[in-house]
Amino acid sequence: MTENKGKEDLRIGVYVCHCGNNIAGVIDPKEVVKFSEGLPGVVRATDTLYACADSGQRLIKEDIKKYGLNRVVVSACSVRMHEPTFRAAVAEAGLNPFLMEMANIREQCTWAHGHDKEGALDKAKDLTAAAIAKSSFLAPLDMIKVPVTKKAMVIGGGVAGISSALDLADQGIKTILVEKEPTIGGVMAQLNKTFPTMDCSI
Amino acid sequence: MVDAARHPNIEIRAYTEVERVDGFVGNFKVQLREKAKYVLADRCNGCGDCAEACPIEVPNYFEMNLAPRKAAYVPMSQSVPLIYNIDMDACIHCYKCVEACGKLEAIDFAMEDKLVWEDVGAIIMATGYTHFDPSLIPEYGYSRFPNVITAMEMERLNNSAGPTAGNLIRPSDKTNPKRLAFINCVGSRDKRFYPWCSNFCCMYSIKNAVLLKQMYPDCDITIYYMDIRTPSKGYEEFYDRAREMGVHFIQGRPSLVTEDEETHNLYVHAEDVSLGKVIEREYDMVMLNQAAIPQLDQNVMSSLMNISQSPGGWFMEYHPKLRPMDSPTDGVFLAGACQGPKDIPNSVAQGSAAAARAGRILHSDEWEIEPIVAYVWEDRCVSADGKKCGICYNACPYGAIEYEQGQAAKVITAKCHGCGACVAECPHNSITQMHFTDAQILAQIHAVLAKRPEEKIVAFRCHWCSYGGADLAGTSHFEYTANERGLRVMCSARMDTDFIYEAFRLGAGGVLYSGCHPQDCHYITGQIIGATRADRLKKAFDRMEMTPGRFRIEWISAAEGDKYARVLNEMQDVLDEIPKEELLAEIEKLRPTMEKRVRRLRSVPGVEAAYQFSEKLENIIVKEIIG
Repeated sequence: MTENKGKEDLRIGVYVCHCGNNIAGVIDPKEVVKFSEGLPGVVRATDTLYACADSGQRLIKEDIKKYGLNRVVVSACSVRMHEPTFRAAVAEAGLNPFLMEMANIREQCTWAHGHDKEGALDKAKDLTAAAIAKSSFLAPLDMIKVPVTKKAMVIGGGVAGISSALDLADQGIKTILVEKEPTIGGVMAQLNKTFPTMDCSI
Repeated sequence: MVDAARHPNIEIRAYTEVERVDGFVGNFKVQLREKAKYVLADRCNGCGDCAEACPIEVPNYFEMNLAPRKAAYVPMSQSVPLIYNIDMDACIHCYKCVEACGKLEAIDFAMEDKLVWEDVGAIIMATGYTHFDPSLIPEYGYSRFPNVITAMEMERLNNSAGPTAGNLIRPSDKTNPKRLAFINCVGSRDKRFYPWCSNFCCMYSIKNAVLLKQMYPDCDITIYYMDIRTPSKGYEEFYDRAREMGVHFIQGRPSLVTEDEETHNLYVHAEDVSLGKVIEREYDMVMLNQAAIPQLDQNVMSSLMNISQSPGGWFMEYHPKLRPMDSPTDGVFLAGACQGPKDIPNSVAQGSAAAARAGRILHSDEWEIEPIVAYVWEDRCVSADGKKCGICYNACPYGAIEYEQGQAAKVITAKCHGCGACVAECPHNSITQMHFTDAQILAQIHAVLAKRPEEKIVAFRCHWCSYGGADLAGTSHFEYTANERGLRVMCSARMDTDFIYEAFRLGAGGVLYSGCHPQDCHYITGQIIGATRADRLKKAFDRMEMTPGRFRIEWISAAEGDKYARVLNEMQDVLDEIPKEELLAEIEKLRPTMEKRVRRLRSVPGVEAAYQFSEKLENIIVKEIIG
């Protein structure tokens, strides 16, 4: 299917999410699937009601094995929302998590272009194609492990900072509580009784 | 407070400020300025003899300046730590304090600020909020009429530990007020000042009303409100209790407070909206419930920690629902009102939640970070050939590049945060960024411009801000042109000139170059590098006589969804105004120049393959349209 010379052939799986009606209410995900099927390297393309749901993730994991996928493209929502979800899913199926790429066809497409369904479909196809294109050049990567200094700093000694510091300290973590004024307590210490229990603030 | 002071695992550093923050999750280095107290902490026993001996009095901030303190002072008797300070701005150097301290010898006038470094694995920001200055609303008369006070002044005046030992008196004549008006939403829910609801002021008014009713059952209290907001557990019941106690509630934001010059009594003018009547009532005292606003040094702190701000200036969380305690910087968490106005129960809850989030890291022996780092192709680096360069070294905001003439530049992976500044700045294309390689990004650009490129607006967005802004435009359903084709990189510093030229070479109608605001940059100075490059590009396009507006630079935060939508719609307007044949002619005219500018791209490893792939992809996509 591909002529990616010298490397293993691309075997891309494309998953176009309905997100209930959030995506499917504006565009037909099956159209995006049909379009993706013909693109270079794509060996499997399908729509799914909720890609992030257990069933959606299971489908991806099973397909990785069934179709020997070495790239996964999830055309769904924002990477800020579900990139960790799908990275974890592909990793569970033995694929390097950095071989998964997302296209954001919800926040940045159907939710923003409800007035222009044709334009939204066109854009969803393009964004999916771009994700497929990027995925073709992805390389497996390993997370970088860094050591951890087992000490915390809390900046600000008001009620929130004091609570944080106490909880960390009770977990056995050495904590530095930094306060710019000569005393901790913040605004809370200046208050008289506090609602709704009317106990004193300090 | 006392629990924190005696906990063996907590070290309180009071009178200390954060100067600098370096490092990354698990490995932060924080520089602290321990301000000189002129009192030795290990010798001061908190007896207060120095303050007693001190002849100088200045207003005490802790008492809202309603009471004096000495130049040798603690803000309050329950201060933690209980170590006295000498206020050098007020001190007259009479040394009476030294005498009073006697054998303890705790006072040291030679003390200087001390800079110290601390290594920590995680940081929790709990820097709180401050209060709106109500003198900015002249119609309420604060600072002109003595009996108009703020809510915080009320706190001190009815507090048994306060300057009047809890005896509430009118500043004008020291009598107990019998008729009080509380005005809510002073500066908040007011488009002239702050649009937000300050969250706790309704309850705060009600609390003070209940408290005063308990202290002075005969006093008459009226709360002027816009809406009473009591959404948490026990709050509505507390409101009911206040009404049962006889506290009056009038819906209506007062328009004016006037004063009787002789009695210093006050007249509140308002519309009682439930009666539909304009009213004017006389009171002995008026309390203004000021808005909660971000700390005045919020900008400084957000730059130090590389965390962005929501509109209005509060620290911004990574995700408002899914990761409300996390800042955008890994290993830095938010707690309390620095993230937005909140009351004590919520601040405590957030404090605990942030501690739990930080605990995940602090209980691990090692922490994983994304391998989105820079990588040098040593054989392409001109420095290895003995040429002088060092551009990557200068571009790196983190000092993560080792550069020595005669050797290829080297990336110190642990220090690299993956902004991509060095990658885009390298004039010889000798550096790449993992997961955001030239080949990957070019393949994306080609894919989105495969058909009718002249109609498309390619929007380059940074991951942390503008991509978030675009997300927010979507979640808010701010509609914008569907011709936008957004591409994501980690920082505007990664937006290589080659990408922009390539997009125009391929015939893009417009290109948006968009990242965070300078103070919000996730990569210290990444945005500045991106912005400098973008300005250079703009000048180049001006010289080429490209239609203004086809290339646009905008800094859009993750909280500015409305701006993202507006900018894209304006860019669409620019394209709509150019007759199609003129636009196509301009694209054709500029194509050879763009071609020239990207000619070196093909030698970059992986790029030739990306071009071949793209050609295949384009053929299929174009065929799809025709077919």
